[in-house]
Amino acid sequence: MEDLKNIEPILEIKDLKKSFAGNAVLNGFNLKLFEGENLVVMGKSGSGKSVMIKCLVGLLQADSGIIRIKDQDIEVLGRAELDLLRTHIGFLFQGSALYDSMTVRENLEFPLRRHKKKLKLNESTESLVQEALRNVGLEHTIDLMPSELSGGMQRRVALARALILKPEIILYDEPTTGLDPITSKEIIELMRNIQHTYNTSSLIITHDVDCARVISNRMILLVDGINYMQGTFEELSNSKDPKVQAFFKN
Amino acid sequence: MATTTSQKIKLGVFVILGTLILISALFFIGNRQHLFTKNISIYAQFENVNGLQIGNNVRYSGINVGTVSKIEMLAESRILVQMVVEESTGKFIKKDAIATIGSDGLVGSMVVNILPGKENLKSVIPGDTIETYSRIGADDMLSTLNQTNENAALLTSDLLKITNKILEAKGTLGVLVSDTILAQDIKLILNNLKETSEQTTLAMQKINRELANIDFNESIAGTLLSDTLARNRLEKIIISLDSSSHEISGITKNVNAMIKEIKEGEGALNYFTQNRELVENIDTTMINFKESSIKLNENMEALKHNFFFRGYFRKLERQKNREAQKN
Amino acid sequence: MDSNTIWGNVKSFFAEVGDMAYFAGRFFIEVFKSPFEFRELLRQCYNMGNRSLLLVSVTGFILGLVFTLQSRPTLMEFGAESWMPSMVSISIVREIGPVIIALICAGRIGSGIGAELGSMRVTEQIDAMEVSGTNPFKYLVVTRIVATTLMLPLLILIGDAIALFGSAIIENLKGEVSFLLYFNQVFDALTFADVIPATIKSFFFGFAIGLVGCYKGYYCSKGTVGVGEASNAAVVYTSMLLFVIDFIAVFAADIFYG
Repeated sequence: MEDLKNIEPILEIKDLKKSFAGNAVLNGFNLKLFEGENLVVMGKSGSGKSVMIKCLVGLLQADSGIIRIKDQDIEVLGRAELDLLRTHIGFLFQGSALYDSMTVRENLEFPLRRHKKKLKLNESTESLVQEALRNVGLEHTIDLMPSELSGGMQRRVALARALILKPEIILYDEPTTGLDPITSKEIIELMRNIQHTYNTSSLIITHDVDCARVISNRMILLVDGINYMQGTFEELSNSKDPKVQAFFKN
Repeated sequence: MATTTSQKIKLGVFVILGTLILISALFFIGNRQHLFTKNISIYAQFENVNGLQIGNNVRYSGINVGTVSKIEMLAESRILVQMVVEESTGKFIKKDAIATIGSDGLVGSMVVNILPGKENLKSVIPGDTIETYSRIGADDMLSTLNQTNENAALLTSDLLKITNKILEAKGTLGVLVSDTILAQDIKLILNNLKETSEQTTLAMQKINRELANIDFNESIAGTLLSDTLARNRLEKIIISLDSSSHEISGITKNVNAMIKEIKEGEGALNYFTQNRELVENIDTTMINFKESSIKLNENMEALKHNFFFRGYFRKLERQKNREAQKN
Repeated sequence: MDSNTIWGNVKSFFAEVGDMAYFAGRFFIEVFKSPFEFRELLRQCYNMGNRSLLLVSVTGFILGLVFTLQSRPTLMEFGAESWMPSMVSISIVREIGPVIIALICAGRIGSGIGAELGSMRVTEQIDAMEVSGTNPFKYLVVTRIVATTLMLPLLILIGDAIALFGSAIIENLKGEVSFLLYFNQVFDALTFADVIPATIKSFFFGFAIGLVGCYKGYYCSKGTVGVGEASNAAVVYTSMLLFVIDFIAVFAADIFYG
């Protein structure tokens, strides 16, 4: 992994700090995401993983620190530039976050309605929607409402929505949370397929060890608001550190 | 972008204060007439203010020109009312203007109405006291009328009985003939009676017509008379008026017959000497009758002046005048 | 936080008012900036008008019916039944209609917005919108506030009309006043001084309903409890705000039309 140090990362977090009402959640977190890799950030619930990923896309404002995505500092971006940058990032939310007043088709069209022209996507909206749904194997649900889908199907539709603008970076916030083990495996499989097909860089936040084992190229352990330890899955799972071991012991 | 709590608090305080200032500004602008105009005080003395309160409107020729600012009891039946009147309209109020207390619409609060005086007099100056005029309240009017009518009905029914008796006992009439004073009295009474009954009938007809019109009439009198209470009372009075006028005409007929018989002279003199008590009776009855017919007349006159019939009777007068002019 | 002391409560009250003022300010900034979400605006207008129409109709009808039934005996005592059409129409158009219907809509639309935006916030749908490059404030908040501001006057006018119709039915049954006569008297009694201030007022009512509903929903705290609180608070705060607006409107109308 040492050779990666010379390559420009596609996404970089430096010394990120964030506190809520005096409670420090992130306390100088650092992260580099390189092109084509699957980086897993693991941590306990409440360790600030979700806060970190929300700071990344500008949903939350960091107290201090630098966040650079594709060589742009998101702190200084205006609304329009930030929106444009966000089109390069797919975001899969914890609870799928499908718009429940819209059909699956409308859900998928939503990111396209403002940005299709800017991104110079030549295909028609219809074919993009069809392609995204085909990727997750749910073409038949196109006219259903999200409430008519099972949890796993909702997650897959959400994944299709995250991918519809063909982003270079995909952020997964707990992709397998709330799903049964079999559905989780399906989702993880899907994530891997997509990574292969589109050669995206993925940042995955999870506390699911199985998920991390299957998908990760590299892992960061987030403990006490800092990147406590990083390395491959094997390196971390063989670590003697008790705080690290706590994650891998069942 | 992010706002701190203290910024929010500051803005919140600002918003609340702004709202309060807006409300008070609107309130004061809404009352600007009373804030920025010059006022003068004038006074009037009443016997009865009929529930007038401080703050009631003062009207001059129907325009609101000010408010009642003080009501003070000076002595028994003397109440001083202070009115604050705009200076600009105050100059139109002459020294001989007359203040009356009336009600604002049917159910409204009381108002002081100032009726214009003569044009060539001086305007009032602050502190002046103007004349007042109390009209008889409709209520008092109605109850007095009712009572008098009951009395009249009683009297006339007595009289009817007596005259009947007289007719039956023909002998008495001789006495009446010889008693010139009594005969004159009877004549006078008869005239009175005739006049009264004519007037009553006329008034009855008019009142009936008026009543029939009332439901469709939107005038104040109409609305007032639709008031069930007043209406019931009035109806009662009118019915009794009606019956007494019938009785009066019955009496008149009797008396007429009596006089006829007197003229024919059927030896009543003998009877009279024997029946002195009866004659005396007749005498007092006649006096009573006279009194009651005068009262009835008065009542009719009062009815004419009562405010919700006044308009009607005025119209009647005007019509008469017009007809007189034609002739 | 010292939220349990009186001072803490006062501070949080002012903070809330201030926050809402910022929210309103943001609305006024964003409402004039492109891109405009016309399609969503139309959808919201249709939704609000359509979903509230039946409720407003029924409420208005019963309002007119009951109001007439209850005031009739009193006016009859004065023999002033013929004043019924003008009295009922003026009080419905000026005050009762707008306030009652706005309160009903605060319950129907305001709580709906509070709950919808609240649950969208809780399930991260608003975040998802933000991330997918659409300004959720514009898409969700601006459209809803504009929709309530435009739709409420319409709903109030419809409600007023139906209330007068209900009142006419009672007059027709009880007082043998024909519909023609009733509405003749109504339009005789009503002036622009009655209708215009009431209509202007109802725009503000609509704005208040949209603003508070959106504010409460948009800044909903986490969890399903937060959604319930948001929709509840939306109704409570809106109702209060409606009366404050009404209070100011009465004063203002008094000046301009008094």
